Amino acid sequence: MNKNYLEINNVDFQVGGKVKVKNLSLKIQNKGQIICLLGPSGIGKTTILRSIAGLEKIDKGSIKLKNTILSSKSEHVEPENRNISLSFQENALFPHYTVEKNIYFGTDRNKLNGKKKIEPKKIIKILNIEKILDKYPHQISAGEAQRVSLTRALVSNPDLLLLDEPLSNIDENFKEEIQVKLKQILKQFKITTIVVTHDSYEAFYLGDKCGIILDQKLKQFDDPYNVYHYPNSIKVVNFLNRGVLLPAKVTGQYTLENEDLGLIKGNFVNEHAVGSIVKLLLQPEDLEHDDKSNLQLDVIDKKFKGTNFIYTLKTKSGKYVSVFVHSHHVHQHQINDKFGIKKPIHIKHLVCF
Amino acid sequence: MKTFNVWYITSFIISLIVIIPVLTVFSSYFDNTSDYFKLLKNTFLFEYISNSIILLIGVLFLTLIIGVSSAYIVSFYSFPFSNFFKWSLILGFAVPPYIYAYSLTAFFENYGTAYTILKFFLGEGNYNTHIPKFDGMLGAILSISFSIYAYVYILTRASFYFQSNNLLELGKNLGFSKIKTLFKIILPSARPAIVAGLSLVAMETLSDFGAVDFFSINTLTTAIYNSWLSFDDLAFSNQLSFYLLIFIFTLFIIENFSRRNAKYHSPMQGGFKLKEKIKLRGLSSFSAFFICFIIFFFSFVFPVCQMLYWTILYPKNFFDLDIQNLFINTIILVSISSLVLIIFSFISNYGNRISKSKFLSILTTISISGYALPGVILAVAYITFIAWFDNTIINYLEIKSIKKLFIGSILGLILAYFVRFYSLSCNGIKSSYEKLNRSIDESAYLAGYSKLRTFIHIHVPYLKSSIFFVFILISLEIIRELPITLILRPFNFETFATTAYIYASQDLLEAAAVPSLFLVIIASLFILFISRYILKEKYE
Repeated sequence: MNKNYLEINNVDFQVGGKVKVKNLSLKIQNKGQIICLLGPSGIGKTTILRSIAGLEKIDKGSIKLKNTILSSKSEHVEPENRNISLSFQENALFPHYTVEKNIYFGTDRNKLNGKKKIEPKKIIKILNIEKILDKYPHQISAGEAQRVSLTRALVSNPDLLLLDEPLSNIDENFKEEIQVKLKQILKQFKITTIVVTHDSYEAFYLGDKCGIILDQKLKQFDDPYNVYHYPNSIKVVNFLNRGVLLPAKVTGQYTLENEDLGLIKGNFVNEHAVGSIVKLLLQPEDLEHDDKSNLQLDVIDKKFKGTNFIYTLKTKSGKYVSVFVHSHHVHQHQINDKFGIKKPIHIKHLVCF
Repeated sequence: MKTFNVWYITSFIISLIVIIPVLTVFSSYFDNTSDYFKLLKNTFLFEYISNSIILLIGVLFLTLIIGVSSAYIVSFYSFPFSNFFKWSLILGFAVPPYIYAYSLTAFFENYGTAYTILKFFLGEGNYNTHIPKFDGMLGAILSISFSIYAYVYILTRASFYFQSNNLLELGKNLGFSKIKTLFKIILPSARPAIVAGLSLVAMETLSDFGAVDFFSINTLTTAIYNSWLSFDDLAFSNQLSFYLLIFIFTLFIIENFSRRNAKYHSPMQGGFKLKEKIKLRGLSSFSAFFICFIIFFFSFVFPVCQMLYWTILYPKNFFDLDIQNLFINTIILVSISSLVLIIFSFISNYGNRISKSKFLSILTTISISGYALPGVILAVAYITFIAWFDNTIINYLEIKSIKKLFIGSILGLILAYFVRFYSLSCNGIKSSYEKLNRSIDESAYLAGYSKLRTFIHIHVPYLKSSIFFVFILISLEIIRELPITLILRPFNFETFATTAYIYASQDLLEAAAVPSLFLVIIASLFILFISRYILKEKYE
């Protein structure tokens, strides 16, 4: 017997007759897991959520929740009968009801199911919306509206919670706090969740697993650590924008060589034949700064990121590489200065394509 | 999944009911007519058409001047009673053109009210020769203009109101004077709204029957009525309707096009900055007050005072009139028609909302074209169709005639009102429905609410104020409506409008004053009820 909590099998997700994501398969094994889907705007992430919620029908494949088919070509359980909550990107609060009434609107089903009850007051307090309960949606800010929408979705205690860009309107300084609280709530009440976001840091923090959707397909579905450190294709690398790809020649079981950086050591993630030419993924944290090194590159740009600086350097052959340096480093380099790279270069995981 | 469900069937039936009069007019174009057609063609047809055009141009000119100037003054300036004028300027709507025509004639005719006033203050004298006569074409133009200029006023004022202060500050920044700002920035920006208002005025003018009939102006509308009533030539009535309909549908298209453009001038939440009204002082303040007062006085105070004067002067007419009966008849028509219209509008809008079908959307578009149909054309085409249906289909089936059921009956009247005012009701509910994002419905479904529960718990509470607004708007139109009621009403069934018309057509203007006054009072109350919706000054 299949024991997966949620199963999406070979589904074409479509809207208005146009297929947005093809042949997607995805499984959530245990209740309470959080899945994050990442992808560029308009790729079909929202369509996936809408289809799982039953707001769009599917013509191919099947969606099963707790071993019950919700959607397939021949079956379609109506949204109101799925016990799935969706927090819309545009909030979709009822304009003629107060914030409080909007939140309690979702609690009917909570009562019906007789499950472990999520106390709305608790969520209201955690998400800090106590002071706006008497207000109408047009009287609150976009960030507040998003928190209300989130609260409404949470208090219905769904079998599956779908969050569409849940924190996109929340102020940066408050976002991290909400992320932490949200994760605590989801884990405490074991709410199985799929989050759609374009913010990879948010996805890596919230998700037990992350999926990258590109070119109408789920390109990678893995732990956040693996998605970050072991991207499985050049497209995923480019989407995550975490480094540069440099040409290199495989010179041994643990070594390769680049014409500008010289010998690079490490463990290959995939096997590559000695002598083959590959593209090596070089991320900012892979290189170390060393003023005394004889490998000196030109500083092209410098970004202050609080705890560190990111220096963009130009190699002799005109390639650009980035390097992290702690902001308490003894001295700073300016644009057009020389910048030393520690040799020999050692990278823990050699990701090559 | 597209299935022919209850929404399709209902929308299809509604479209069919609305489209039948139009199809009847077009199909009748090829029917044989009596000799009256040849007679008219050789004699008065050109006069009918030219009169219609002169009337149209006159009314458009006057409503443009009155509507835009009053809208400009109350939107941009603050002066004594400016808030009062803001809503009182729409009260002219309460006075239908035919009632305005009665008042105008009563006041200026020989030995009329003007004569009485002069005699009271100046003693006996031959004043009749010095009192101007506002009859004929001029009387019709004035009556229609003062009655319906509010279309231009309301739409233009809304457009002016939502013009952002940023736009006006831009004018100042470019060194424009007030006049230059008006002509270079304010008016061009409000142009779609002004055109939309004028198109509505044009359609109403071409449809007008009561005022032109009273002043004996032969227009296409009166020709349609006369060829049916005097010559019993329904086919020719429909042929004349055909000409008029082409004219009106052109205006209908212009109006729709203008409204679509007008959207681009709607306020955007981000860029909109509410403007402060300029406080006027001294002579300019008095001038603004005077202009608004004159318009308010002539559009509302003057006809009401004239009716009131006659009612007081001839109290017998008041006591002779079976007001209770007229009131009940009017309420019956208004309540049943409004209820039917609102229920069907809800069904159609809700069907459109949940089905997302293009076919259904096309059907709805067809069904809202009814408001472009003048009442006279509608009534005549309606009789033509029922007569044809009865003579062919019912005859063939050998069942009881349906003529009595649909012609000269309450049911027939309600059906005709339905065709005429369905767009008003459907669009009224639609415009509010469109503000309710579809994701709101989806949120309710996901909270476990069925479609019916979503409708009851979300849609109805949200739309209740629009329903009230639409109800009052339809009631107002039905109370003012004359030709449909006149032609299709049951025998001995009178409303305030038909009673006023019958007395006036018998030259008993004093007797027409009482029902006219009651009609205006009820219509004014309705307008006061909905003025805050019409003059809304907030985003919804």
